[in-house]
Amino acid sequence: MNVIETRSLNKHFGDLHVLKGADLTVAEGEVVAIIGPSGSGKSTLLRCLNFLEIPDEGSQVLLDGEPIDPQHDDLNKVRERMGMVFQHFHLFPHKNVINNITIAPENVKGVPRSEAKAKARDLLEKVGLPDKEKAWPSQLSGGQKQRVAIARALAMDPEIMLFDEVTSALDPELVAEVLQVVKDLAAGGMTMVMVTHEMGFAREVADRVIMMDEGMIIEEGEPSEFFTNPSEERTQAFLSQVLHA
Amino acid sequence: MFSSLWVVIDSHFYGFLKATGVTLQLTAVSLALAVLIGLVFAFFKLSRNPVANLVANAYIGIVRGTPLIVLLMFLYFGISSIVLLSSFWAGSLALAIHAGAYVAEIFRGAIQSIDHGQHEAARSLGMSRRTAMRLIILPQSFRRAIPPLGNQFIIGLKDSSLVAFLGVSEIYSTAMTAAAANFLPFETYLVAGLYYLVLVLIFTVLVHKLEIKLAPDRRAAT
Repeated sequence: MNVIETRSLNKHFGDLHVLKGADLTVAEGEVVAIIGPSGSGKSTLLRCLNFLEIPDEGSQVLLDGEPIDPQHDDLNKVRERMGMVFQHFHLFPHKNVINNITIAPENVKGVPRSEAKAKARDLLEKVGLPDKEKAWPSQLSGGQKQRVAIARALAMDPEIMLFDEVTSALDPELVAEVLQVVKDLAAGGMTMVMVTHEMGFAREVADRVIMMDEGMIIEEGEPSEFFTNPSEERTQAFLSQVLHA
Repeated sequence: MFSSLWVVIDSHFYGFLKATGVTLQLTAVSLALAVLIGLVFAFFKLSRNPVANLVANAYIGIVRGTPLIVLLMFLYFGISSIVLLSSFWAGSLALAIHAGAYVAEIFRGAIQSIDHGQHEAARSLGMSRRTAMRLIILPQSFRRAIPPLGNQFIIGLKDSSLVAFLGVSEIYSTAMTAAAANFLPFETYLVAGLYYLVLVLIFTVLVHKLEIKLAPDRRAAT
């Protein structure tokens, strides 16, 4: 069963054609890594999945096999089912850690405060920050912020998690702690799509790697095959650039 | 001079004290209304509805483009020709309409200054546009609006002196009456100025306290 599927996904920003007919399927429990040069449309593809960007007309996004119509369907309900983690965390600075995590379950799903809090504490435990529930975002390191952001997304019990370059804004020594959390999630069977520049990580965790260039998916494959023996010339060029940087 | 200054302070003490109460009431009423007006017009300005934009731009443009004393007289005679209002309420309303335009711009700026990522993060969690505004954007905007709002409030406190010309017995009008009677205009206006100065200083401290109260993370950090 595919959790998410796109068919001829197109997106224009004004005259700029950013996505040119991307077809993506993600099966339940699958971890898909999207790589590619900057400006290739990776993030836009990810953001079209939860309709932070509305795809052009004629594009199709299916969630659990159901096509979603951005004109008529309640996109808030759709987004509830997908967690997203951003490059720059976007924690809510006026809420402490635990309230960052409980605010959506309480106000969107109507989960009682005590229940939301108990769940938030479990999640903080899971991301390795059990002692930070009363801390403010401004007091956390980048890696800690990102782990709280992951917990915040998980608190909504999403069917799929979307990661948009979640380690790109981190100091190098803080990358591992965030990747560890993502790895744990993958091991727990979470369906995930991640845009990433961490090739080693993609290779280790992903079930499938997708290469994008100029708004198109140009190659995909199982990581061991993909990284050792890419068939597309552009993939080879990209990989040799990032791996030998 | 010091003895005559003391005479003014002493002999007009109760008059100025009462007048201070009126000035504070004028300020409180007009600024409370100004905040409401400002909030509504900030949303009009940010709205995607062109009519709302036009209304907001017209209001802000007219108020900013005319001197307060003209607006005050215009509204006073305008309002009191339609409904019977005391000069206190007419004055408060006029001050509110004036300050509301500036408050609208302060709120608009504060709302727009919040990183778009905050909105996206809220939406990605399933919040509606309205919920995201209420729970995520507005609380942060209020916090950011406090310093310029405090500034605007101080201006509003001082602008309330113009209501003297509508015959409201606030600090400035009390000073005018007193100076005409005691022939000590220099000392009398000096005292009036001191009353305003003390009020503004008290207000500044309160705004600063509010700023700290509304920034719990910064409070915890320091």
